[in-house]
Amino acid sequence: MTDTDTTTQYRHGILPEFTAEEASRQEFVKSLKLHLAHKVAPGNKIAFERNVVPRFEKQHNRAPENRHEVRKEMSQEPTFRMWSTLLRTSQEMMWKACQTPVERQLDTLIETAKHATGAGGTLELDPELSIPKYHTAVDIHCQPGAYHTEVTADDVAAGAVYDRAVYVYAMGRMGPFNDDIGASLAAWLANERPDFKPKRILDLGCAVGHSTIPYVDLYPEAEVFGIDVGAPMLRYAHARAESLGKKVHFSQQNAEDLKFDDNYFDLIVSHILVHETSNTAVRKIMKECNRLLAPGGLVIHGETPPYRDMEPFDAFILDWDTRNNNEPFWGGSHEIDPIVLAEESGFPASNVFEGMAPSAFAEAEARRTHAFRGGDFGGGGVWYCYGMQKTDTKPEAAE
Amino acid sequence: MTEPAKLPKKAKGARPYFFDDPAVDKAVAIVMGLAGEVSVMHDRLDTIEHLLAENGTLSQADIEGYEVSTAIAVERDAWRDRFLDNVLRIVHQELEDPDGGRANDPAYEQAIADVLD
Repeated sequence: MTDTDTTTQYRHGILPEFTAEEASRQEFVKSLKLHLAHKVAPGNKIAFERNVVPRFEKQHNRAPENRHEVRKEMSQEPTFRMWSTLLRTSQEMMWKACQTPVERQLDTLIETAKHATGAGGTLELDPELSIPKYHTAVDIHCQPGAYHTEVTADDVAAGAVYDRAVYVYAMGRMGPFNDDIGASLAAWLANERPDFKPKRILDLGCAVGHSTIPYVDLYPEAEVFGIDVGAPMLRYAHARAESLGKKVHFSQQNAEDLKFDDNYFDLIVSHILVHETSNTAVRKIMKECNRLLAPGGLVIHGETPPYRDMEPFDAFILDWDTRNNNEPFWGGSHEIDPIVLAEESGFPASNVFEGMAPSAFAEAEARRTHAFRGGDFGGGGVWYCYGMQKTDTKPEAAE
Repeated sequence: MTEPAKLPKKAKGARPYFFDDPAVDKAVAIVMGLAGEVSVMHDRLDTIEHLLAENGTLSQADIEGYEVSTAIAVERDAWRDRFLDNVLRIVHQELEDPDGGRANDPAYEQAIADVLD
């Protein structure tokens, strides 16, 4: 395979082995998800226009005005019910298909992770760290055990399962390294700010480091750090990065309360982190970013687009995960106003920026739907990003 | 020897059911599970056919160690898409003809009445 392969995940040193049957089972889920996105999901819009809108207008003398009104009606539609039950089932099948091979070879994976070297990166775990409630209340995106559960000593299972599942979930459309969000944001940043050369970079909620590594490539002079609350993720992330020859310093920390010194970073990034936190946590995280950034430093979050400029139906269909895929903050996070968030976390509103970063993995174009909706992750071909710049002067002087 | 560690298999959190009777959702999940296993069998048969065509004979190790090339992976993706076209026929049919998807549509009774006029 090559870096541009749309059918195969790159076989780095800690990717689990798959028997022929296990690989086929995963391939089926990938095909099912692609089939649902391309051939079944479009029926929802038809049902909305033909059935829901006329029914709603008859009752209320107006069209549905927001995603909540759309949801209430659409949940009665047989088309939506069938698509939803198939999509939820595909998600459960995906986790099972990725778990079984990991369970079978967990001892070997743990040994591999223990002896990971090659790039000079580091791993620091904190067994005392308390896992935030938004990660323990439900298992996020239906991964049994989520990011943090450890089933044995030195466990890497959650990371190994997640790495493979991300590939299946995005149907290979995030590239052989699953790095499309990081690579796209990094490319967007380099294009927007060609003179910006960060010396220290932090990736918040880095999981297995799949979005972290593009920054190592883009800024080879920089020191790159990744933090996450999940120890099994970080052990796996460290082994993965070392195997790929990419130097990253991973540590187990909560982004709401970090151990780094003030003004330590020039660039702080996150990739689909915000929607897996909470309103309170996001404000704390942004205050931490403000503390950690050097004057003139940038914080950037990558997500799917906010609901505010969307038609009610489009917001509704992107919001599917909130109730149906164990993503309770998905909806709330898509209503965040970056200007308000800046004011709450000490950044000047005038230093807020937003953008749409085109996917760096152009090879997947033929498999994209150009839609933002549940179960079609990476189908949009573009990532929404927003961020803030810390002022160059001290806050006291600015007042 | 210690028992190998077991991963939890059910995600924490209430599972949504979309139909009035959860048995419908469960039946769909079972059918799709079965469809997945048929697809796994198809891949295996495809491997065997390729090996036989190439070598005229094969061993268990040949099948298990078979490297799926990008070209064959693309062919299998296309096969699974056609397979799902067949398995999900009833769903696609409704998308093609939304009116035909309406349960017990009185329009059909009307058609019977009309031809008797």
